[in-house]
Amino acid sequence: MKRFAAAGFIAGYLGFLGLGIVSHGLHYGEGAHPLMYFVVWDMFCGWSAYSSRSHLIAEGESGTFYRLTPTPWGEYHPYAHLGRQHYDSFGNHLHTIAANVLRHTRHEPIRRVIAVEETWAKKYNLPDPVWKRHFSEPKEPHHYFHVTALYTPDGRIVARRPMWVDYQASLCVADNPRLLAESRRTQPAFALTPNQRFYNPHMAPLWERAFTPAIPSDPPLGDAR
Amino acid sequence: MTPTPMPSEVHRPAHGDAPLEPVERLRTDSRPTPTPRRSWWSRLERFFFEQRVPYGMAAVRILLCATLLCVVLPRWFHAREFYSTDGAPAPLADNYGWMDFLPIPSGPLAVALMSLLAFALISALIGWHTRLSLGIAAVVYPYLNMLDCLSSMTKYSVISSHALLLLALSRCGDVWSVDAWRRGLARRRSLLDPAIRWPRSPIWPQRLMQLMIGIVYFGAALTKMQTPEYFNGDQLLYWLMSNVNNDNPVGEWLTLTPWILVFFAYIAVVWEVLFPFLVWQPRGRLWMLGIGALFHIMTTLTLGLFIFPAVCISIYFCFLTERDVRRALRLVRRWRRRLKVRPALRRVQPAIGAAFGRITAQLRGRLGPATYAAVAGTAVVLGLIAEYALDPYGLRRPEGPYALQPLSQEEVARMLSPSPPIRHKDKLVAFDVGTWMISELMVNRRTEFRHGEYALAQVRLAPPHEDLWVECNLHDAEDRVLDRVGQIVTRSMTRASFIYRLTNALEPGVYQLVCRINGTEVARKAFRLHGQGWLPATAPADAEPPSAQPLEHIETVSR
Repeated sequence: MKRFAAAGFIAGYLGFLGLGIVSHGLHYGEGAHPLMYFVVWDMFCGWSAYSSRSHLIAEGESGTFYRLTPTPWGEYHPYAHLGRQHYDSFGNHLHTIAANVLRHTRHEPIRRVIAVEETWAKKYNLPDPVWKRHFSEPKEPHHYFHVTALYTPDGRIVARRPMWVDYQASLCVADNPRLLAESRRTQPAFALTPNQRFYNPHMAPLWERAFTPAIPSDPPLGDAR
Repeated sequence: MTPTPMPSEVHRPAHGDAPLEPVERLRTDSRPTPTPRRSWWSRLERFFFEQRVPYGMAAVRILLCATLLCVVLPRWFHAREFYSTDGAPAPLADNYGWMDFLPIPSGPLAVALMSLLAFALISALIGWHTRLSLGIAAVVYPYLNMLDCLSSMTKYSVISSHALLLLALSRCGDVWSVDAWRRGLARRRSLLDPAIRWPRSPIWPQRLMQLMIGIVYFGAALTKMQTPEYFNGDQLLYWLMSNVNNDNPVGEWLTLTPWILVFFAYIAVVWEVLFPFLVWQPRGRLWMLGIGALFHIMTTLTLGLFIFPAVCISIYFCFLTERDVRRALRLVRRWRRRLKVRPALRRVQPAIGAAFGRITAQLRGRLGPATYAAVAGTAVVLGLIAEYALDPYGLRRPEGPYALQPLSQEEVARMLSPSPPIRHKDKLVAFDVGTWMISELMVNRRTEFRHGEYALAQVRLAPPHEDLWVECNLHDAEDRVLDRVGQIVTRSMTRASFIYRLTNALEPGVYQLVCRINGTEVARKAFRLHGQGWLPATAPADAEPPSAQPLEHIETVSR
């Protein structure tokens, strides 16, 4: 009996591991269930060319802005010297972090919480001796800030837009008048649809409308100086 | 001398035949005994259900629990914040669209679970009620991790969860454990004494762990094969430049030789694919595990990972066999003899025995399930009391809860002002000049050329970028444009290469290659051109390559 149970477990366990391999190999059902995370081995699958950090700031009713991260009671650094919020690559859980900080701190009434992403090219992470061997030019990093979401003080999402790299990628695609005209021509008449429109470059003005007037929109793509 | 018989001469007795005469027996014995053929089913049965001493699993138990304690203990202080409704949990299931997949515990319950997990890992490490401890860890560890995908759940937590489950199903507590000591297996003996007859048990949990490791590597190879950026070195380059893990100085220096990354990328994939097939052969096992250990150590040096390699190397010990342990014990005995440890131990052993013998004898009888439950309960209660006293949110401080810190107007303006378009210089990852490329990557960066050679210039760009016009222009030392070459780099491309033939139309001297993106200069490289007779060996060996020197310096020299 014990042996039958063991054989059953062996078959079930190997079947479960095999399911992950097949699913990952064929890109079928990889995200169907949270347990797929335990059998799909997609380590290091999408590191970008830009470094990114997440900031949460709250706007009080007086118009004063407050820093919510790093958390006032001290940060835990899970993998290096960075706080936990920086590992939320898609900004899916920042609203819970903000709400938790507001629940456990003293502050004036808060009007809204803003999630800001800070980004810079990864090449500026290189130490100076290595930089000098790569480039003759001085190291002049530029940090881009990009508002990704607005939350209520209790953590409800008011508005959201893609992370900076995805947003820039959509701008690059939108840098095509023919494509943009085609997209505009086939735009549905509905003001709202059940689908998320994050990746449609033509929807960019709508995001901006959601964020105005407090957050100015990003300028269109053009020649950088 | 007896001639070796032909196979046809050998009398093979059928079942029930009379025994062979001594000479005939000698003849048949001189031939290798044919190995009885087993059916694939019996081989499979033997593979999974052979009785072995679970040395390997015991070693994994000790090493893995020690590694996991290094992450669980620091997280205990933040249990309320990460895993409870009184904090900011980040359930993994939410990312999959499965809201409320797992119940989120209250603050005290999360602290109690974390305390219980820490206790279970400690007791599993020492092997006290091993199976129960590992069972608790195998349930609580993945449960809590699934509530925090930001700082707890990673692929090493997944591998550890698999390993804890398989350890809980194994008899790893039969060896090198308090349980074994309680049963009197190692009484009055060292745990490493070869005379101890450790109990044997079916090997299937160990086999499943070995298979799991092979499947993990195979899956990781699949991921890499589906990622073209992995093989052209771009992704590896960005990993090395990342600073989301610990410091990785070796990785940062490796960015200077990107072609090596491509070489290692292929080696890694070949190794990962071969691992599940070759690791079962004695020689293959040595190679596969050796390369694996080296690979994981390199991830520490190049990517700044610590726990991931520690977990992986810990579970490699499931490949440990009884033979390996016998060999290791022989080695230990030899070293003990050389270092004369045994006589020294013999002198102190009676004293230790007299001092602790009575205590250990009493303790042995009192380490039963009731004591285990009492100690586990105490650990949980103490954990709750300690966490209350530590007051992680500072709510009970005399001055009250923490106050939010206001941001300065400059900081607010910096964060909320519109983000400009990406600067062209940020789109450039590297601009290299040399003569030799492998896998579209510069192998030899050169600052000295002679007539007749080709100068290869390579521009590497970071995605995302729009369709670009990239130029690589030749300037002289006075910065006058001598030649202008450009090409379109579409948004899907990350490389642009330019070739200059350095003919005698160019006077020997200093020149510069200037990279422009959409008309904006983003980088330049200076080089010195020599006449036909110049050889690299005769060139003056500068401490710094001229490209690393300020351009003004080179211009001054040329004047």
